[in-house]
Amino acid sequence: MPYTADISRANPACLLFLLDQSGSMTEALAGQPGQTKQGQSEQAISGILNAVALRCSQGMEVRDYFHIGIIGYDNEGLQTIFPGTSIGNPFLPVSQVAETARVEQRQVREPDGAGGLATVTRNVPMWDFYFWSKNPHPGNGPTIDLLYDRLGGTPTCKTLDAAFDVLQRWIPQYPASYPPMVIHVTDGESSDGNPERDAARVRELATNDGNVLLFNVHLSDVAAMPIQYPDSENSLPDRFARSLFRMSSVLPDSIRGLAATLDLPVRENSRGFVFNADMTALVQFLDIGTRGPSNLH
Amino acid sequence: MGLRDLRAFWTSKAGNRPEECEDAYAFDPWACRLGSMGVDTARIAVSDGASESAFARSWSQVLSKAFIDRPLDLSGIGQDALESWLAPGQQAWNATVPWDRIPWHGEAKARAGALATLLGLTISPAGPDGLSWQAVAIGDCCLFIVRDGELLRSFPLEDAAQFNNTPVLICSNPANNRGLGDHVRQERGECVSGDFILLASDALACWMLEDHAGGGKPWDTLLALDSHQAWEEWVQTQRQERIMKNDDTTLVIVEVE
Repeated sequence: MPYTADISRANPACLLFLLDQSGSMTEALAGQPGQTKQGQSEQAISGILNAVALRCSQGMEVRDYFHIGIIGYDNEGLQTIFPGTSIGNPFLPVSQVAETARVEQRQVREPDGAGGLATVTRNVPMWDFYFWSKNPHPGNGPTIDLLYDRLGGTPTCKTLDAAFDVLQRWIPQYPASYPPMVIHVTDGESSDGNPERDAARVRELATNDGNVLLFNVHLSDVAAMPIQYPDSENSLPDRFARSLFRMSSVLPDSIRGLAATLDLPVRENSRGFVFNADMTALVQFLDIGTRGPSNLH
Repeated sequence: MGLRDLRAFWTSKAGNRPEECEDAYAFDPWACRLGSMGVDTARIAVSDGASESAFARSWSQVLSKAFIDRPLDLSGIGQDALESWLAPGQQAWNATVPWDRIPWHGEAKARAGALATLLGLTISPAGPDGLSWQAVAIGDCCLFIVRDGELLRSFPLEDAAQFNNTPVLICSNPANNRGLGDHVRQERGECVSGDFILLASDALACWMLEDHAGGGKPWDTLLALDSHQAWEEWVQTQRQERIMKNDDTTLVIVEVE
């Protein structure tokens, strides 16, 4: 059965984010005053990085069950975001991703164990994707300069092609691994053509455990209700959403089974697509070992 | 009548170091003298730390050792008795955690506590020619009684389909054990000379039940393992062929004399 490979250091899972950093991403997000699409995309990826690092943490160390890369793209080209990475190898093991976090102390309210709430100081990780991409680390390799017209171009097709190349190199190193998951965060408007064919090429790559999974997080200024994991494009609000839906993988059975136990709205043909909504829960569907217990919820 | 032999095999999840193994086992040092020299009980325990909790290795070690060091009175065990029995172990675990040095990703998990299953077996003489056994299980480590080459009993699970990623677990944080008393399983029975008792953590137990359901005699394979190297090679092959889940794996074999 596909999508059931054990995830271990020997057979790590691969998460590749494609982050739209084009000019339009600085616009406001629908329904959330003061929140830009850029800010939301940073939160979406940070949320997933945090969830992955926590799942792999054994207390003192993070076990490298995941390889994680981020490719940012805008009108000036493509670049990898993590320190010391390059388009040739955009990945860091999750332990190093955890180390790149800037830890902020925040006051949060938590149950005090006696039925009330107490204010406590907690460490919260933050990642500075936008700062890093505008101030690249010296160790990062050269960016791919697309020589765009610098008018807010969004080279989605080129970015998917780069993802294809990156994964084509990763997969032979870990042929028995859980198939790589590509999470594309965008406002949907491609300026270098229709990306659906490039997306299909990415999804055709496969490990012995199944095809690459391509998921899309659509951050939109269209005022419409958030949508998670739809099974048809009919109810989607615009052509960008419909195109991203078509680019997204159908959720495999093993993911759907676990999603249902977490009360997520998934159906037989649900795809890995969300519209102005969160995708952090997807990370919980990967099997890296014994989880929190059934008796303690 | 006593025990002829008691041996244990373990190995880490492939890709992890041996010292990262979160399974633990323990037994009385005098277990093989059962029935002589004043030894009237032999206790054996296996515990499987949940890999998604923090500091699970020390918790499974504490739990399995606690079962040997401090008898758990199984008559009418309920929530209160279980909590009192767990308390010294929870303090011991607490003392192993370097609270002032935990990085951000470990903090919340450490506060929530480590998680582990526990399977405990107590064997005592019963009359001149027999032994009685009593087992307690919280979670999915399993015990198998094999007589004349056939499976007499498996406990607490009887079907491979009962395994999943969210077994019942004991927490090192007392606040997270509410309702645990309802999940304690108990069983007892008799052993006769020549019986084998096998204790296995979940991945191996699941394979044993699957193999048995398909008409196999998995204990024949396990009882024939004559060295740790043979064990390691066998486990590696099962994992590579995806017959057995890649997980920390432990087997304790008890031979009844």
